[in-house]
Amino acid sequence: MTPPSLSAALRRWPLLRPATALLATAAVTAALLALGGHHPGAVFATLIRGAFGTWDRFLSGTLLRATPLLLTGLAVAVAFRARVLNIGAEGQLHAGALAGVAVAVLLPGATGLVLLPATLLAAALAGALWAAVPAAMKTAMGVGEVITTLLMNFVALYLAQFLVQGPLQEARGVFNQTDEIPAAAHLPPLFPGTRLHLGFLIGLGLAFALWLYLTRTPGGFRMRAVGASVRAAEVSGRFRALPVIWMTFLASGIVAGLAGWIQVAGVTRRMYEGLSPGWGYTAIAVALLARLHPLWVIPAAILFGALSAGGGAMQREAGVPEVWVRGIEALVILAVLAVDQTARARADGGGRD
Amino acid sequence: MPGANDGHPRDSGDRPGGTAPTGQPRDSRNAPLAARLHGVSRSFGRVVALNDVDFELRPGEIHGLLGENGAGKTTLARVMAGLLAPDRGRVEIGGRALEGGGARTARELGVAMVHQHFSLVPRFTGFENVLLFNGGGWTRRGRLRRGFRERVEARAAELGLAVELDLPVEELGMVERQRVEILKALAGPTRVLILDEPTTVLAPQEVSGLFAVLARVARAGTGVVLVAHKLDEVLAAADRMTVLRGGARVLTRPRGDATEAGLVAAMVGRGGVGDGGRVTRKRPDGAPADRAEAGDAVADGGGGDQANPPVAELRRVTAGDPEGERIVDLSLEVRRGEIVGIAGVGGNGQRTLAAVLAGVRKPVRGEVRIPREVGWIPQDRVEEGLVGDFTVAENVAFALHGSADFRNGPWLDWKRVGRTAAEMVAGMEVRGGGAGDRAGRLSGGNQQKVVAGRELLRSRILLVAESPARGLDVRATAQLRGRIARLARDGPGPPGIVLVSTDLDEILELADRILVMVRGRLLPLPPHGRHPDAIGHLMLAATTSSPTPPPTPTP
Repeated sequence: MTPPSLSAALRRWPLLRPATALLATAAVTAALLALGGHHPGAVFATLIRGAFGTWDRFLSGTLLRATPLLLTGLAVAVAFRARVLNIGAEGQLHAGALAGVAVAVLLPGATGLVLLPATLLAAALAGALWAAVPAAMKTAMGVGEVITTLLMNFVALYLAQFLVQGPLQEARGVFNQTDEIPAAAHLPPLFPGTRLHLGFLIGLGLAFALWLYLTRTPGGFRMRAVGASVRAAEVSGRFRALPVIWMTFLASGIVAGLAGWIQVAGVTRRMYEGLSPGWGYTAIAVALLARLHPLWVIPAAILFGALSAGGGAMQREAGVPEVWVRGIEALVILAVLAVDQTARARADGGGRD
Repeated sequence: MPGANDGHPRDSGDRPGGTAPTGQPRDSRNAPLAARLHGVSRSFGRVVALNDVDFELRPGEIHGLLGENGAGKTTLARVMAGLLAPDRGRVEIGGRALEGGGARTARELGVAMVHQHFSLVPRFTGFENVLLFNGGGWTRRGRLRRGFRERVEARAAELGLAVELDLPVEELGMVERQRVEILKALAGPTRVLILDEPTTVLAPQEVSGLFAVLARVARAGTGVVLVAHKLDEVLAAADRMTVLRGGARVLTRPRGDATEAGLVAAMVGRGGVGDGGRVTRKRPDGAPADRAEAGDAVADGGGGDQANPPVAELRRVTAGDPEGERIVDLSLEVRRGEIVGIAGVGGNGQRTLAAVLAGVRKPVRGEVRIPREVGWIPQDRVEEGLVGDFTVAENVAFALHGSADFRNGPWLDWKRVGRTAAEMVAGMEVRGGGAGDRAGRLSGGNQQKVVAGRELLRSRILLVAESPARGLDVRATAQLRGRIARLARDGPGPPGIVLVSTDLDEILELADRILVMVRGRLLPLPPHGRHPDAIGHLMLAATTSSPTPPPTPTP
């Protein structure tokens, strides 16, 4: 027997991979913090206290911030599973938020039982519409979705800017934001006195539903098959890949669209420029860290939520600028990719005949 | 580089004293061996692929490497090419140790390998692919070295390789791709040339062409390793042969001392091929011995069989795939219980015909009547037949995911799928993994058994098999062919079978009637034409000379 190597261990126990990636990230971050004259242990302790120190910090900080990442992370994970490289969760999120706000503001008289479902539906449709453009370009013309979904993000961002400065601007006309949405359209808090809202539960439910769909249904099987090989799907599976690719785009867009409106309905209560600090992009890190597994997206999103929530405490209490958190997020992506590559390194030599 | 060096890297003179750095060459002639493996072992996880193997390759010989699927042939080849580091043992190329593996070192020592699944960049032209593998084509400043193109062309001419150098490889047929691959390997100085199952993509006539090329390569002093599983081919081409079984070397013999029976016994190690796999030989007229009447009735193409209406019917169908492979105005009927053999040089429309019969490709013109479910063993098992990252059960689910029997409400019934897969694994004697293991872990031959086993599940009415035994070893080939032959006369309602193959022996052995595919059309055999020469003539005559093939008759 050869001595067990890291790559062999990573191959045998896939769950070691995210753990290794996180350890590596922590090590590099600690080294950089030390170089910057900080005490890594103290900084990490502050970060962890800030994220998990009290129930309120955990619920109203970490989990609240994890919610949009959970939803967009799911959107990205599902798409990537079918090898639809949707980089456009950010744009779909904005489209969903705009549509939800528009319905909420334009139908102010409706009761909660009507208004909330109507806004969620509008957000889902808008997200789907935003994803449908790249889907059509890919399936009809063969245009790569990495470019189109990315560019659609800018369209959504500028559309949002235009709308909150113009047609949807608040009645006072002071700030570039919409009016507050009616109370009937609010997502209620989960626990009295906390800010964590129903959207988090919706995210958990969607994660579970998507996991069941991918692993237990024929449709999910087809999605994974297309992700593994379009040719194998068509020749061995005897089904056409194009409808599956369409479905995947739409499903991903729907989930990302919901993420936008859920953030507005649960937290901000109005739409404004810069609603998202880039959740749609962080979502890619979340999905990759979760190895595209819907259930693992939950802890991955919570981890990134904790980084975000703890980052504030880190700045206040340890004097480490919050931008470090962005750096850590980027390091996680690099570490995940490096670890996956390490695991793959010798696996290629496995063919025998 | 001086032209005299072509095909023969460094002669022994550039080694001080002519002694190998590690140990004396065993060869009595005292010339350094082209390659030598000493006590090489390699495992993958718990699977021992090579166990303490010694192997010697002399300059100028063609050395056949034989063995069943999973015997370790490819692993041995990859170790020699520096693509895999051995766990134990030593590899020497031209007397120099290949320390710690390393494909680059092996290449520098003059080892080139032609893989079973080609390693060409599809969008690059043939020339660009040659250039990619041969650093000698570039100047230090990244310019194309003057005269390189001419040297490559001269090399191709010298080897008798007719290669299209200026078309993207993706537009070439398999045969031409292989030529590019060989030229790529031989454009630089080469001491050792390894070919992994090179004949699997070739028609019989093309095989002899390949062997002529290899003979020329060997004559120039290169040691050639020919990995193969077809005995007759190795016996025809190789000077010496080595048999591997279960990762160990069983024997090495010069051609003069080798018999087919002896080699089979060495490969199989079970005193021959199992009874279960034996195929009923046909009478010379081609009808199967034990169902002569039924066979004759269909063999002459009598369309008026009222009791047995066709299960698949193509009427004047024209179709094609994006790569340009197509069928033209083609008609075909397949009835239950018959095996229709489609012979022909690869790339004449067989792929499209199979895809149309399987319902995957829609015709441009014409009428297609096919059953809802068709078994199709596709030609390209690795890319199209399987997903390596899926488990065997998931790969079997490709055939079952649409069936109500394997559904439980909205859910796919994975338990039933798993049971079916496990039965298939047992029935096909898949080795190296079970229903729950990744299909990519299996050896090529076992992957193929998975594909064949899955498609047999779909073959209640119609089976389209493209070279179903390609890449299988002697025993597995006999078993699979036996299975197909039995399927055709199975029970009250046997399926119709379309056997597409470039292997004439296979067609002659199994088919009730034979059609030859030429440029997208099907030609019938002339009376008493059921003979390899006659079929070969039809295949080639029509491809090379006749500009307008005769119209397709309606069978």
